[in-house]
Amino acid sequence: MNQAEILDALAGLALFSDLDRPQLEAVAHTMSEEAFPAGQRILRQGFSGSGFFVILDGEVSVRVDGSDVARLAKGDFFGEISLLLGEPPVADVVTLVPVKALQLAGPDLRAFLLAYPPVMYRMLQSVSRRLERANRRG
Amino acid sequence: MSLDRQERISWLTGVPLFASCDKDTIERIADTTGELSFADGQAIVQQGQVGNGLYIVVSGAVRIVAGASELARLGPGDFFGELAVIDQQPRNATAYADGPTDCLALASWDLIALLERDSGLAMNLLRELARRLRRADAQLRH
Repeated sequence: MNQAEILDALAGLALFSDLDRPQLEAVAHTMSEEAFPAGQRILRQGFSGSGFFVILDGEVSVRVDGSDVARLAKGDFFGEISLLLGEPPVADVVTLVPVKALQLAGPDLRAFLLAYPPVMYRMLQSVSRRLERANRRG
Repeated sequence: MSLDRQERISWLTGVPLFASCDKDTIERIADTTGELSFADGQAIVQQGQVGNGLYIVVSGAVRIVAGASELARLGPGDFFGELAVIDQQPRNATAYADGPTDCLALASWDLIALLERDSGLAMNLLRELARRLRRADAQLRH
Protein backbone atom coordinates (compact mmCIF):
# COMPACT_ATOMS: atom_id res chain seq x y z
CA MET A 1 0.00 0.00 0.00
CA ASN A 2 1.27 3.49 -0.72
CA GLN A 3 0.89 6.35 1.75
CA ALA A 4 -2.33 7.65 0.15
CA GLU A 5 -3.93 4.20 0.28
CA ILE A 6 -2.95 3.80 3.93
CA LEU A 7 -4.45 7.22 4.69
CA ASP A 8 -7.72 6.28 2.99
CA ALA A 9 -7.81 2.98 4.86
CA LEU A 10 -7.16 4.72 8.20
CA ALA A 11 -9.82 7.35 7.56
CA GLY A 12 -12.42 4.58 7.18
CA LEU A 13 -11.70 2.93 10.54
CA ALA A 14 -13.86 3.71 13.58
CA LEU A 15 -10.80 3.93 15.84
CA PHE A 16 -9.50 6.91 13.88
CA SER A 17 -12.77 8.42 12.70
CA ASP A 18 -12.50 11.53 14.91
CA LEU A 19 -9.11 12.56 13.53
CA ASP A 20 -8.58 15.21 10.86
CA ARG A 21 -6.38 14.73 7.81
CA PRO A 22 -3.11 16.06 9.31
CA GLN A 23 -3.61 13.84 12.36
CA LEU A 24 -4.27 10.81 10.14
CA GLU A 25 -1.06 11.58 8.27
CA ALA A 26 0.82 11.71 11.55
CA VAL A 27 -0.72 8.39 12.62
CA ALA A 28 0.21 6.76 9.29
CA HIS A 29 3.72 8.05 9.81
CA THR A 30 3.95 6.77 13.41
CA MET A 31 2.68 3.25 12.71
CA SER A 32 4.44 0.80 10.44
CA GLU A 33 2.64 -1.24 7.79
CA GLU A 34 3.13 -4.98 8.13
CA ALA A 35 2.05 -7.86 5.89
CA PHE A 36 1.59 -11.36 7.31
CA PRO A 37 1.00 -14.59 5.34
CA ALA A 38 -1.90 -16.90 6.22
CA GLY A 39 -1.25 -19.10 9.24
CA GLN A 40 1.20 -16.78 10.96
CA ARG A 41 1.07 -16.23 14.70
CA ILE A 42 1.27 -12.46 15.30
CA LEU A 43 0.76 -12.52 19.07
CA ARG A 44 1.77 -15.42 21.21
CA GLN A 45 -0.02 -16.44 24.42
CA GLY A 46 2.24 -15.99 27.43
CA PHE A 47 5.03 -14.21 25.57
CA SER A 48 5.47 -10.50 26.02
CA GLY A 49 7.31 -8.03 23.85
CA SER A 50 4.87 -7.46 21.02
CA GLY A 51 2.92 -4.50 19.83
CA PHE A 52 -0.43 -2.94 19.11
CA PHE A 53 -1.99 -3.92 15.77
CA VAL A 54 -4.81 -2.44 13.69
CA ILE A 55 -6.09 -4.69 10.90
CA LEU A 56 -6.31 -2.99 7.49
CA ASP A 57 -7.20 -6.10 5.51
CA GLY A 58 -7.73 -9.81 6.18
CA GLU A 59 -8.92 -11.83 9.16
CA VAL A 60 -7.31 -13.28 12.28
CA SER A 61 -8.35 -15.84 14.85
CA VAL A 62 -7.93 -15.18 18.58
CA ARG A 63 -7.07 -18.49 20.25
CA VAL A 64 -6.84 -19.36 23.90
CA ASP A 65 -5.15 -22.67 24.65
CA GLY A 66 -5.65 -23.64 21.00
CA SER A 67 -9.39 -22.92 20.73
CA ASP A 68 -10.84 -20.13 18.65
CA VAL A 69 -12.55 -17.55 20.91
CA ALA A 70 -12.96 -14.64 18.48
CA ARG A 71 -12.40 -13.49 14.91
CA LEU A 72 -11.12 -10.02 14.09
CA ALA A 73 -11.15 -8.26 10.71
CA LYS A 74 -10.68 -4.87 9.09
CA GLY A 75 -10.83 -2.02 11.60
CA ASP A 76 -10.44 -4.30 14.61
CA PHE A 77 -7.36 -4.04 16.78
CA PHE A 78 -5.49 -6.20 19.27
CA GLY A 79 -2.52 -6.24 21.61
CA GLU A 80 -3.58 -3.15 23.56
CA ILE A 81 -4.78 -4.89 26.73
CA SER A 82 -1.41 -6.58 27.35
CA LEU A 83 0.45 -3.36 26.64
CA LEU A 84 -1.77 -1.28 28.92
CA LEU A 85 -1.29 -3.75 31.76
CA GLY A 86 2.33 -4.60 31.07
CA GLU A 87 1.43 -8.28 31.00
CA PRO A 88 1.95 -10.99 28.35
CA PRO A 89 -0.94 -11.71 25.94
CA VAL A 90 -3.48 -14.27 27.18
CA ALA A 91 -4.25 -15.44 23.65
CA ASP A 92 -2.58 -16.31 20.37
CA VAL A 93 -3.55 -14.18 17.39
CA VAL A 94 -3.17 -16.17 14.16
CA THR A 95 -3.82 -14.98 10.60
CA LEU A 96 -6.52 -16.96 8.73
CA VAL A 97 -5.70 -15.34 5.36
CA PRO A 98 -2.95 -12.92 4.32
CA VAL A 99 -3.28 -9.89 6.58
CA LYS A 100 -2.23 -6.27 6.27
CA ALA A 101 -1.96 -4.40 9.54
CA LEU A 102 -0.51 -1.29 11.05
CA GLN A 103 1.76 -1.89 13.99
CA LEU A 104 2.82 0.36 16.82
CA ALA A 105 5.75 -0.79 18.97
CA GLY A 106 4.60 -1.72 22.47
CA PRO A 107 6.45 1.01 24.39
CA ASP A 108 4.92 3.70 22.13
CA LEU A 109 1.23 2.95 22.80
CA ARG A 110 0.86 5.05 25.94
CA ALA A 111 2.38 8.18 24.37
CA PHE A 112 0.36 7.56 21.21
CA LEU A 113 -2.96 7.46 23.10
CA LEU A 114 -2.06 10.54 25.16
CA ALA A 115 -1.23 12.36 21.91
CA TYR A 116 -4.58 11.40 20.32
CA PRO A 117 -7.30 11.60 23.02
CA PRO A 118 -10.12 10.82 20.54
CA VAL A 119 -8.40 7.52 19.71
CA MET A 120 -8.10 6.77 23.43
CA TYR A 121 -11.81 7.51 23.86
CA ARG A 122 -12.68 5.11 21.01
CA MET A 123 -10.49 2.48 22.64
CA LEU A 124 -12.21 3.13 25.97
CA GLN A 125 -15.56 2.50 24.25
CA SER A 126 -14.28 -0.71 22.70
CA VAL A 127 -12.92 -2.05 26.01
CA SER A 128 -16.21 -1.06 27.72
CA ARG A 129 -18.21 -3.05 25.17
CA ARG A 130 -15.97 -6.08 25.52
CA LEU A 131 -16.24 -5.88 29.31
CA GLU A 132 -20.04 -5.71 29.10
CA ARG A 133 -20.08 -8.74 26.82
CA ALA A 134 -17.78 -10.65 29.20
CA ASN A 135 -20.00 -9.70 32.16
CA ARG A 136 -23.11 -10.88 30.32
CA ARG A 137 -21.55 -14.27 29.59
CA GLY A 138 -20.37 -14.67 33.20
CA MET B 1 -21.82 11.35 56.62
CA SER B 2 -21.17 14.60 54.89
CA LEU B 3 -17.84 15.85 53.58
CA ASP B 4 -17.17 19.57 53.27
CA ARG B 5 -15.47 20.84 50.12
CA GLN B 6 -11.97 20.61 51.57
CA GLU B 7 -12.52 17.07 52.88
CA ARG B 8 -13.94 16.04 49.55
CA ILE B 9 -10.89 17.44 47.73
CA SER B 10 -8.49 15.73 50.07
CA TRP B 11 -10.39 12.42 49.86
CA LEU B 12 -10.56 12.54 46.03
CA THR B 13 -6.80 13.13 45.88
CA GLY B 14 -6.30 9.65 47.33
CA VAL B 15 -8.58 7.85 44.83
CA PRO B 16 -6.41 5.80 42.42
CA LEU B 17 -8.60 6.68 39.41
CA PHE B 18 -7.71 10.35 39.91
CA ALA B 19 -4.03 9.80 40.72
CA SER B 20 -2.89 11.64 37.59
CA CYS B 21 -5.24 14.62 38.00
CA ASP B 22 -3.85 18.04 38.90
CA LYS B 23 -5.27 20.20 41.69
CA ASP B 24 -7.61 22.14 39.36
CA THR B 25 -9.13 18.95 38.03
CA ILE B 26 -9.59 17.47 41.52
CA GLU B 27 -11.34 20.70 42.57
CA ARG B 28 -13.56 20.52 39.52
CA ILE B 29 -14.47 16.93 40.39
CA ALA B 30 -15.15 17.93 44.01
CA ASP B 31 -17.46 20.70 42.81
CA THR B 32 -19.37 18.60 40.28
CA THR B 33 -19.91 15.42 42.32
CA GLY B 34 -22.85 14.95 44.62
CA GLU B 35 -22.80 12.89 47.81
CA LEU B 36 -25.45 10.20 48.10
CA SER B 37 -26.28 7.85 50.99
CA PHE B 38 -27.81 4.41 50.58
CA ALA B 39 -29.33 1.99 53.07
CA ASP B 40 -28.22 -1.64 53.33
CA GLY B 41 -29.56 -3.58 50.33
CA GLN B 42 -30.68 -0.51 48.41
CA ALA B 43 -30.08 -0.54 44.63
CA ILE B 44 -27.77 2.31 43.63
CA VAL B 45 -28.04 1.62 39.90
CA GLN B 46 -30.32 -0.91 38.22
CA GLN B 47 -29.55 -3.31 35.40
CA GLY B 48 -31.37 -2.23 32.22
CA GLN B 49 -31.59 1.45 33.13
CA VAL B 50 -29.93 4.23 31.21
CA GLY B 51 -26.56 5.22 32.64
CA ASN B 52 -26.65 8.60 34.35
CA GLY B 53 -23.21 8.69 35.90
CA LEU B 54 -20.17 7.25 37.62
CA TYR B 55 -20.18 6.40 41.34
CA ILE B 56 -17.20 6.32 43.69
CA VAL B 57 -17.58 4.48 46.99
CA VAL B 58 -16.68 6.77 49.89
CA SER B 59 -17.64 4.48 52.75
CA GLY B 60 -19.40 1.16 53.09
CA ALA B 61 -19.42 -1.50 50.37
CA VAL B 62 -21.16 -2.28 47.08
CA ARG B 63 -22.07 -5.57 45.43
CA ILE B 64 -22.24 -5.61 41.60
CA VAL B 65 -24.75 -8.21 40.42
CA ALA B 66 -25.78 -9.20 36.89
CA GLY B 67 -28.71 -11.61 36.73
CA ALA B 68 -27.92 -14.25 39.34
CA SER B 69 -24.16 -13.80 39.45
CA GLU B 70 -22.11 -11.45 41.57
CA LEU B 71 -19.48 -9.76 39.40
CA ALA B 72 -17.58 -7.80 42.04
CA ARG B 73 -17.49 -6.41 45.56
CA LEU B 74 -16.27 -2.86 45.90
CA GLY B 75 -15.07 -0.76 48.80
CA PRO B 76 -13.93 2.80 49.51
CA GLY B 77 -12.05 4.37 46.57
CA ASP B 78 -13.50 1.92 44.03
CA PHE B 79 -15.77 3.16 41.25
CA PHE B 80 -18.60 1.71 39.15
CA GLY B 81 -21.21 2.79 36.62
CA GLU B 82 -18.72 3.99 34.00
CA LEU B 83 -19.54 1.43 31.27
CA ALA B 84 -23.05 2.66 30.59
CA VAL B 85 -21.76 6.23 30.40
CA ILE B 86 -18.97 5.48 27.96
CA ASP B 87 -20.82 3.30 25.48
CA GLN B 88 -24.29 4.77 26.12
CA GLN B 89 -25.93 1.39 26.55
CA PRO B 90 -28.32 0.41 29.38
CA ARG B 91 -26.68 -0.65 32.66
CA ASN B 92 -25.40 -4.22 32.45
CA ALA B 93 -25.54 -4.86 36.19
CA THR B 94 -27.22 -3.74 39.40
CA ALA B 95 -25.19 -2.23 42.23
CA TYR B 96 -26.48 -2.86 45.77
CA ALA B 97 -25.31 -1.14 48.92
CA ASP B 98 -23.86 -3.76 51.27
CA GLY B 99 -24.44 -2.09 54.62
CA PRO B 100 -24.97 1.67 54.89
CA THR B 101 -22.97 3.18 52.02
CA ASP B 102 -21.98 6.65 50.86
CA CYS B 103 -20.97 7.43 47.30
CA LEU B 104 -19.89 10.43 45.30
CA ALA B 105 -21.76 10.57 42.00
CA LEU B 106 -20.41 12.21 38.86
CA ALA B 107 -23.00 12.88 36.13
CA SER B 108 -22.41 11.39 32.67
CA TRP B 109 -21.75 14.69 30.93
CA ASP B 110 -19.32 15.76 33.67
CA LEU B 111 -17.42 12.48 33.35
CA ILE B 112 -17.24 12.79 29.56
CA ALA B 113 -16.07 16.41 29.84
CA LEU B 114 -13.40 15.35 32.33
CA LEU B 115 -12.17 12.53 30.09
CA GLU B 116 -11.93 14.91 27.14
CA ARG B 117 -10.03 17.44 29.23
CA ASP B 118 -7.65 15.13 31.08
CA SER B 119 -6.09 12.39 28.97
CA GLY B 120 -4.16 11.09 32.00
CA LEU B 121 -7.50 10.35 33.66
CA ALA B 122 -8.75 8.67 30.47
CA MET B 123 -5.58 6.53 30.47
CA ASN B 124 -6.12 5.52 34.12
CA LEU B 125 -9.72 4.57 33.38
CA LEU B 126 -8.68 2.65 30.26
CA ARG B 127 -6.10 0.67 32.23
CA GLU B 128 -8.58 -0.15 34.99
CA LEU B 129 -11.15 -1.36 32.43
CA ALA B 130 -8.43 -3.42 30.72
CA ARG B 131 -7.66 -5.01 34.11
CA ARG B 132 -11.35 -5.77 34.71
CA LEU B 133 -11.71 -7.21 31.20
CA ARG B 134 -8.78 -9.53 31.70
CA ARG B 135 -10.15 -10.65 35.07
CA ALA B 136 -13.63 -11.25 33.58
CA ASP B 137 -12.15 -13.25 30.69
CA ALA B 138 -10.07 -15.35 33.09
CA GLN B 139 -13.15 -16.11 35.22
CA LEU B 140 -15.08 -17.22 32.15
CA ARG B 141 -12.44 -19.77 31.34
CA HIS B 142 -12.29 -21.27 34.82
